[in-house]
Amino acid sequence: MLLLLPLLIPLAAAVLVLTFRDRHTANRAALFFCLVETGAIGRLVWRVHTGGNLEGRFLRADGLTSFFLVNIALISIFSLSYATGYLRHMGEGRFASPRWFYALVNVFLFTMVGVCLSANLGVLWIMMEATTLASALLVGFYNTEGAVEAGWKYLVVCTVGIAFALFGTIVFYLAAVKAGMSQASALDWLSLLAGVSQKRFDPNLVRLAFVFILAGYGTKVGFVPMHSWLPDAHAEAPTPVSAMLSAILLNCAMYALLRYEILISRAVGPGFPGELLVFFGLASIVVAGLLILVQRDLKRMLAYSSVEHMGMIAIGMGLGGALGFLGALLHTFNHSVAKSLLFFGAGNVRHNFGTLRMDRVTGMGRSAPLTTAVLAVGILAIVGMPPFSLFVSEFAILSESFSQSRYIVGAVFLVVLSIVFGGVVHHFLRMACGAAQKTPPKPHFTGAEYAVMFAAGVLLLCFGVRVPVSFSALLRDAVAVLQ
Amino acid sequence: MEFAEVAAGKVVSTSAVFLMMTIVLLAVSRRVSTSILVFGLQSAIITAQVAGTAFLESSREAWAVAGLLFVFKVLGIPYAFFWLVAKLKSSRDVQAVTSPAQSVFLVVLMIFVSYAVVRSYAFGIRVPEDALAAAVSLILTGAFLMVSRKKALVQMLGLLVLENGIFLAALTTTFGMPLIIEMGILFDVVIGLLLMGIFAFRIRDTFEHLDVSRLRKLRG
Repeated sequence: MLLLLPLLIPLAAAVLVLTFRDRHTANRAALFFCLVETGAIGRLVWRVHTGGNLEGRFLRADGLTSFFLVNIALISIFSLSYATGYLRHMGEGRFASPRWFYALVNVFLFTMVGVCLSANLGVLWIMMEATTLASALLVGFYNTEGAVEAGWKYLVVCTVGIAFALFGTIVFYLAAVKAGMSQASALDWLSLLAGVSQKRFDPNLVRLAFVFILAGYGTKVGFVPMHSWLPDAHAEAPTPVSAMLSAILLNCAMYALLRYEILISRAVGPGFPGELLVFFGLASIVVAGLLILVQRDLKRMLAYSSVEHMGMIAIGMGLGGALGFLGALLHTFNHSVAKSLLFFGAGNVRHNFGTLRMDRVTGMGRSAPLTTAVLAVGILAIVGMPPFSLFVSEFAILSESFSQSRYIVGAVFLVVLSIVFGGVVHHFLRMACGAAQKTPPKPHFTGAEYAVMFAAGVLLLCFGVRVPVSFSALLRDAVAVLQ
Repeated sequence: MEFAEVAAGKVVSTSAVFLMMTIVLLAVSRRVSTSILVFGLQSAIITAQVAGTAFLESSREAWAVAGLLFVFKVLGIPYAFFWLVAKLKSSRDVQAVTSPAQSVFLVVLMIFVSYAVVRSYAFGIRVPEDALAAAVSLILTGAFLMVSRKKALVQMLGLLVLENGIFLAALTTTFGMPLIIEMGILFDVVIGLLLMGIFAFRIRDTFEHLDVSRLRKLRG
């Protein structure tokens, strides 16, 4: 029941919220359900922390699960609070009304929580595919030309990608069955974890499986050759959804990849999966870092920045070691806070100036000082400036690469960081400075929007100065699962 | 009784050849409706193979999977596709990038490649080489249809062919995954198709065509 509750609440919420035709009631109901969901997740996390892992037939929770669930709960509160204000311009189309929006968001939430809680590699795949299905309609929510194109592309690219992950799952299942595990237990996480260390898995099959898994779930993470859906989807989705995509969906895909990484590094040694992750991570940061420079649309730039940060996380995971895992996990959290803050800021820019084209917005500092301040905090955090938390996690990953004498990885990492710093700050300054535009912006913002952004900024700062004790306990539990 | 066993054995062992025939048929078909029919035929062959295996192994799970396949992939999905074609009122042509001759050439090349790829693995895991090669070439053909056909509907069909290939790979190597997982996968596929159908309507309504290659507003 403890495990089932965080799954049932969003599903119930999705159905119930459809009955509220009025926008304000729908807002309040969605926020209420999100708080209830957070409570359920909190209870589960507390139980795992004090009483050890929870095991069920198809659902389970351990330290790694808790870590990602906390991330999901936090960002969904942020996004839904922001959405309550953001949705006020939305019309009452047939499927484009706030209640449909909240219903879909709740289904999306359900699938992501499902990914984290699944105890079976088959269920993991089913839930991962369901995240695509649940969010495709959200990406195409505005029904404009761009949104329809982005939604179609997202659906097709990710479905094909995930199909390869299914093939990888089957190959891994085959390896497990051939190694002497029973058909019923060959997809079960706990039996597999025991199996990979006791039985002899065919290393060729295991490697083949990991390649397909990496290509498949890597598509959802947004690794570079498979990232084509990501900037379109992030740029065309409504802002709260962009934040959720970037801040939690990519993390969930990373979580799926991590589950396999754990198994496969035990079966064939950490070298093979680690090297592949580092390779894809490097490819992602280099390509995304260069593409950030030439972007014209603010949200697209943020999307490429997500690709870059996912690359960094992959490098940390691939390097392994105490600092590598710690830095990478901390980075998933820090990145999601910073990126949701930035997307909310971008949403404000769109409301204020009616465009997201960075070359058409000037003098933002004068006409919309609060939004500019928020964006400035987010930008400084995302490029890894010291008082903010992303510096800590990036530094951890970087020092792991040097302590393992992987100088090339460290050097590429540093070069990309400086390129991105230059590019992002340049884009931002061009928007913030200069003469204010003739058309006066219309800053009508609710308190909720600013409260959320303020909270995110404070979190970034706190985690940069010192990771809170309770959170570092969570982090330790998660790293223990990985090692 | 003996006759039935022989028949079931023959179905299982020869289905790979028939599947490769459907691959070639998919490559030459120029009309959307033909492609849909060939897909239905392909699913029927796979269903027959599952049913044959179920009969030989007398396994109830496999019978259930065969039933699901028959209902969804042989009847339901092709029917839904015909309904979509009628509703969308689009042209009959699949709008291929490659000519039928080129498609056949490429597809046959893919069959050769799959045999070459599969050879080293098939021996190690003791499964029939033909069936595994058929599975891999179905996956490749599905991917090929998705990149070489411009119409949204045919791309969806390509995805289904790819999915058929993955299913066949699971079937030949491990007699399929546990039933509940198979049901979940099938459920995802059906929902995915439903959503793609919704998007096909939206593409037609916003762009007034179904040619996905002309969607190129978002770049860079």
